[in-house]
Formats: sequence, C-alpha cells, structure tokens
Amino acid sequence: MDRPFLGFGLGLRTEHYQHVLENKPDVDWFEILSENYMVAGGKPLYNLDTIREDYEMVMHGVSLSIGSTDPLNKDYLRDLKALLERVQPQWLSDHLCWTSVDGTNSHDLLPLPYNEATINHVAERVRQVQDYLGRQILLENLSSYVTYNESEMPEWEFFNEIASRADCLVLLDINNIFVSAHNHHFDPIDYIKGMDGERIMQFHLAGHSYSGDMIIDTHDHDVCNDVWDLYKKALEHYGAVSTMIERDDNIPEFSELRQELSIAEKIAANTLSPQQLSILPVLKGAA
Amino acid sequence: MPSTELRKLQQSFFGHLLGEKTDVVKHIQSTVDRSAEQRLHIYSSGYRLRLKEAISTDLDKLYSYLGDEMFEHLMDVYIDTYHSHHPSLRYYSQHMCELLATQKPFSDVPELLELARIEQAFNFSFDAADCDTIGIESIAKIQAESWAQLTIQFHSSMQLLELQKNTFPVWKALSQNQTPPESVFDASTWMIWRKQLVSRFRVLDEAEAALLREAKKGANFSRLCEAMLSFSDEEQAPMQVIALLQTWINEQLVCHLS
Ligand SMILES: [Fe+2]
Repeated sequence: MDRPFLGFGLGLRTEHYQHVLENKPDVDWFEILSENYMVAGGKPLYNLDTIREDYEMVMHGVSLSIGSTDPLNKDYLRDLKALLERVQPQWLSDHLCWTSVDGTNSHDLLPLPYNEATINHVAERVRQVQDYLGRQILLENLSSYVTYNESEMPEWEFFNEIASRADCLVLLDINNIFVSAHNHHFDPIDYIKGMDGERIMQFHLAGHSYSGDMIIDTHDHDVCNDVWDLYKKALEHYGAVSTMIERDDNIPEFSELRQELSIAEKIAANTLSPQQLSILPVLKGAA
Repeated sequence: MPSTELRKLQQSFFGHLLGEKTDVVKHIQSTVDRSAEQRLHIYSSGYRLRLKEAISTDLDKLYSYLGDEMFEHLMDVYIDTYHSHHPSLRYYSQHMCELLATQKPFSDVPELLELARIEQAFNFSFDAADCDTIGIESIAKIQAESWAQLTIQFHSSMQLLELQKNTFPVWKALSQNQTPPESVFDASTWMIWRKQLVSRFRVLDEAEAALLREAKKGANFSRLCEAMLSFSDEEQAPMQVIALLQTWINEQLVCHLS
C-alpha cells in the first residue's frame, strides 16, 4: 500500500515548548492543535514557526463541527486556511462529530446518530470544506457515551460511508475504539476489521479513566495494555500507519512521553517489516 | 431539508447541556449498566467543567483572591449568563468584566473588576498581533516640517488601565503567591504591552498617562504638546513630548510614525 508513513509523533503541547526548542528531541513529527494557533501573534505563533523549521507537522482541530446543522463557520474556515498556508502540514484532521448549534459552542465532541440522513448531511459538508481548503481532510472517531435510538448501523459502517461519499481520509483513534467498545458493548476487533483501511492515514493513542463502569476519554494517563494490544492488531490489519500519542492533561515530562512513544515503535517493529516501516517522504501539501 | 430531525436533536441535546428541560433523553438508549440520564450526565457535567477550566486558567489571580467557594459561584453565574460563541475556549471568559461590573454581589467589590481587567489585559497582550517596532533612529529621519502633523501607531498589545484602587500591587502579590495588601482606594494608571514575546507593565505618571491616552486616539504631535501644557510650560512641552516618544520607542511600543 502506498499510504504515506510519517513514522512516530507526539502532540505538541505548550508545556513542552521549551524542551523541544532547546533539545530538538528525536521525534519524527508533531501534531499541533489548530485552534491554539488561530490567534493574532505573540508566543504561540513564534514557537510554532520555530519548531516547524525542524519538524514535520500535521494539524488537528476540534471546532470544525462538521456534523452540526448550523451553516459552516466561514470565519473559522478562513482562519484554518490561513494556518494551513503558514504551517504547510502533511495533512489536517478534525472529528466526526458536532460541537455547536445555534452558534453556541459546547467545546466537546458530541456524537451523531448513525443513519442515512446524517451520512448525507455530513458527507455534503465534508465536500464543501475540502473544496474550500483545496485538499482532503481526515476525520477522527470519537469516544462516546450515548447511543441514539435513531442510529441504524454500527459506527464503522457510518464512518466508511461518509468517508467514501465525501472522499475524505481517516484518523483512527485506537483508544477511542477501545473506550466506545467498552461503553457500548461491541467488540473493538469488529471496528478494526470493519473500517476501510485504504483511507486511514493516522493513528491516535491515548490514555483514559474509569468513572464507575464507564470509560471516559480523558487523555490524562499512560496508554494501557489493552490499547497497546489493539494497536498491534490494527497494525497487523492495516500495515504501517503514522502513529502518535495524545496527552492533554496531567502532562508528564517530555522524555516520559518520548519513552512511551518508543513502546509504539517497538510494537510496530515486532509486527511489521522494516520495508513497511520506512518513512515515505511526502510532498508538502500533497496529502 | 433532510437535517430537520438532526437539528431538533442537536438543539435538544444542547439545551440539556445548558441545564434546560428538553426531550433529549427520549433519543438516548439506556443499557443495563447505565440509564440514558446517567449517560447524558457525562456530557452535561463535562460541559461545565470544561468552561470552568477555561475561566480559571484565564483569571487565576481573581480565583486566588476570591477563594474556591466564591470563584465557583462566580463561574456558575458566568456560565449561566454567557454561552460560548467562539470556536476557541481562549475567548470564552471575555465577558467577565461586564459581569463583575453589573452583577451583585460582585459589583459591590470594585477591586474584583479591576483585577479581572488586569488579567484580561495580560491575556490580550499575550497573543495580540505582531508588528515590527521602530528604532530610535527613526526620530532623526523626521523632516522638521512634518513634526506638527506626526502621529504615533502603537503596538496592538498596548493597553492603558485606569484603576481607582491599589489593585496592581494586589495582582503582583497574587502572582507571586504572596498575601495581597489590603484593597484601598489609590488611583493610578498602568500600561500593559508585549515587548517581543514577553508581557510588560508599568505605572504611568499623570502627564504620561494623559499623553498616551491622546496619542492612542490618534492625536498628532502639536495636539500632544498642547496636552502637555497642563503639566508643563510652553517652552518645555515639545522637548518633554519628544522625550516621552523616545521612551516609548525604546520600550518597543511604537510600530510606525506617520
Ligand atoms: Fe484522538
């Protein structure tokens, strides 16, 4: 398969700016949170530009609200496009969810009902966004805690259908599959087997927390063994996919996260051949 | 429009997040381990927690000054009064001064508003637009006949804060984790701006405060000299204005003279 493989990355966090600037640690790439840099100037943009000189980057957003029934937010898209020009990332992603309605933001990733009407609605909006940005986007699966009575199919069928109709790409969050499988009582392997592997460009790995018998996607812990096992199965199934760890809370020293990333590198090395894991150079903006 | 049902569902779900009575629970499956209500609660409690985290990050000195209980109350009032209309949480707390100025019991304690104004000014200066500031040599290049009409463009991060109380020393103590001095009336004007990447602040004397206010509004050099007459005489005023201009340029406050 000729999917571009960037290697192993980390989410860039403000807590680690200093370390990254001073030590230029050995990481293949960074994922930046787009909204953090949709500001006028100052330190965030200065650090971004400086770090970008040394690292490959991808962009990850949380406020596209692709599943909302509000009109697409033109100001947001304009700022996102400007940031794309600035960063020239390998690709950009957001979530298969809605975050706002009637112009009000929840700042949370809210699930959609999995049915034909939603597929039509979301696929059309993804196409509009891709036309405006002039490139494909990646959509990511969520951790979710509710199932709607209006849902008519498993999440992976819904996801595949949108990706195929909109011709967009996929960011598969392995932890989110694990969390949602637990909360909604399905087999995570069915999700892995059910997804159309051709479109998957990136994996997220993360930690979570238990709240009673539900699992909450908190990104404040190490990646757990069950998620590492699922990661291995995903690699067996799809081949090499650019992989990173997301940590958003209770953020440890950079070196500790780098150490955790080497677990992913080891699992990949034990699962795939060196040829499969050779980092393919990607033309800037070609994704 | 095929998304009418989806729209109703989203409005009902969001209403639930906002604490309104809606029919969203009818749309959610219950399972043996969790009822629909319990499942929805994960979202509604997460909604408030996320907004509270944003407010307490933006206004952490106000938080220390008020203490857990009062700040929690303030955040609850704020969240019930203001919804987030910006895609980034960075801007969620921007109406806090409005609330502190108008809602009792907070409006009875004027230093709360002043403390919030200081914190918001620093937040604004942190990521305000960049511009290349000019060097002191720019003054020498000004033609003699251009001086009278000369106006000053300041760095967009520059803000003036007129305070009635000793709230800046209170802010300073809080930012050093020290016990703040007692809040008393002691009027002063402060300037906050960003020099390269770091936010700065200093107190202004009456003359400088008056001139900066005028200059920021676009007053030209001869108008500034006139304003200086309230503090000086006709002979001294122009040189004093030039001296201030030099200070501002050295502090990287000035982006352009025209
Ligand atoms: Fe993720």
